[in-house]
Amino acid sequence: MSTLSRMSLRIRVRPLRSASAPGVETTLGAVVVVLFALVALAAPLLAPYDPHAFSGQPLERPSPAHPLGTNDAGQDILSELLYGARISLAAGLGAALGTVALGLLVGAIAGYAGGPLDLLLMRLVDVMLTLPRLPFLILLAAFLGSGLVQTMTIISLLFWPATARVIRAQVQSQRQRGYVRMARNFGAGTGYVLRRHILPSIAPLIAFGLVAAAGRAVAMEAGLAFLGLGDPTAKSWGLMMRFALNLPGLLLTDRWLWWLLPPGLCITLLILALSYLGMGLEERWQPRLRRR
Amino acid sequence: MRARITSYLVTLWVVLTLNFLLPRLLPGDPLAALLDPQSSDYVFDAEVRAALEACYGLDRPLLVQYGAYLRGAVTGDLGQSIRLNEPVGELLTGHLPWTLLLTGSALGLASLVGLLGGAEAAWRRGSAADRLLTAVSVVTSNAPVYFLGMMLLIVFGAELGWFPLAGGRTPFSHYDSIPAATADVVKHLVLPALTLTLSLLGIQFLLVRNNMVAILGEDFMLVARAKGLKPARLKWRHALRNTLLPFVAHLAAQAGLAITGAVFIETLFQYPGMGRLIFEAVGARDYPVIQGVFLLVAIVVLTANLLADWLNTRLDPRLAEEVSR
Repeated sequence: MSTLSRMSLRIRVRPLRSASAPGVETTLGAVVVVLFALVALAAPLLAPYDPHAFSGQPLERPSPAHPLGTNDAGQDILSELLYGARISLAAGLGAALGTVALGLLVGAIAGYAGGPLDLLLMRLVDVMLTLPRLPFLILLAAFLGSGLVQTMTIISLLFWPATARVIRAQVQSQRQRGYVRMARNFGAGTGYVLRRHILPSIAPLIAFGLVAAAGRAVAMEAGLAFLGLGDPTAKSWGLMMRFALNLPGLLLTDRWLWWLLPPGLCITLLILALSYLGMGLEERWQPRLRRR
Repeated sequence: MRARITSYLVTLWVVLTLNFLLPRLLPGDPLAALLDPQSSDYVFDAEVRAALEACYGLDRPLLVQYGAYLRGAVTGDLGQSIRLNEPVGELLTGHLPWTLLLTGSALGLASLVGLLGGAEAAWRRGSAADRLLTAVSVVTSNAPVYFLGMMLLIVFGAELGWFPLAGGRTPFSHYDSIPAATADVVKHLVLPALTLTLSLLGIQFLLVRNNMVAILGEDFMLVARAKGLKPARLKWRHALRNTLLPFVAHLAAQAGLAITGAVFIETLFQYPGMGRLIFEAVGARDYPVIQGVFLLVAIVVLTANLLADWLNTRLDPRLAEEVSR
């Protein structure tokens, strides 16, 4: 690229936001995600009790011994909350990896192979994208059974098409580029071209694909648990809300304040942080998307 | 348009086939445990086992079962609910109107407010109001819908007591008049519909706003302004009209989102729609009902998609040419 055209590109991009400095929301999102990750890792150190231990009377109000009171089984709510970060983040990470791996595989094959295989795979993507997602998710969850691994598998099976479509478009456009065609004409093998030329060009897509998928996966895991389709032994934030709402007349007392609200706030905060981080990454790598 | 219809028919066939194959491929079918020698629930009496298989048609070849299933789906015979021992078809027709009422009113309200608000925000882009609305929209469209619902339920249902906490209408009530019945249904609808509206509104608003901002920078807007047209005419006739295209194109996706939101909202508010039905069916492992809901929702979403496509080709004739090519 000549100096002149690079300059003109810069000038167009500059007034919006300088390319090197991420926005406040992106930084804030990253900080919140890291904080939650730290809490998840340090949960045994931070939590006053084992979240499964019956450490108090049922339905205790907040006190120095139980800062957020106890649930209807007499388990410490703060400890549940701290350990819950592990489930949400684990589900988010696992499902995001699964989603992106599947999307990458299908997208790269379709984009690189082209022809009838590409057509077939993209038709599959179209069909998957028009299916009503949550009812399909419920159907799968009902038949596959509940468990954290099943939840992650189900989410991956459902969310890969969007990633596949983006990856395919990028692979296809890269494949047509002069330098890739030249490399192939010089006798470069498929593996070499993929590794050396295609992969670097889709790396940013993978990065924000992961973050976006993690956000959706965290939301879905909590949603499934909330609907009673998650792992009944994994105390996630979604399951905490479900148990809280199951208590008759919960909203008629002020109990929701320390039992329902904290897990709701945590899950919302984590999802928002991941979305802001994803949007920031997307803007950074695709400056055309920059908000005006 | 014909190509679109064909593609939707293919999708519908995939849905039907998935619905048929999933219970037969995956573990977890309640009947499988009774027929599997490895299971602790295995029925030892060979005659009972044969009767069970015959009753559900499992002794027939897979293709014959598939044919019977397709015939049933076309004629509306979706089997029998295990939990309630009622035909699934009747359960669905009883619950569908509530979900249509909830999603329809929320989609309508969100579209109206999103269009007008988005246009106004784009017109005054950069102002404090625009920045605030944009920030709020990002939050409400990303926050889990059940969290939004919980907040509304706590504030307006429990604390202020303005609206009922649960249900679609007052239980065991007899209405003297149609207005009284309507008022009761509307009172129960407000909070669930408001929750769904909030969660859909953010995306609608951002979509309209961002597209309108792009259009306001187009040359034809400059020309229109130079002609001395009044600002109101510029805004509504020239800019908003061109924003309608991406807006309508996105409505189909919104229908899918609305259904997802409705499942959570109906669970939270114990609203008697499809979401509530599938939630209760899951709790009781009532597979025929889960499958029936999935099928019906898929059909509703596909129809909404088709409608949006049709509307789009009407709005933009270029698309019709593209599609028919």
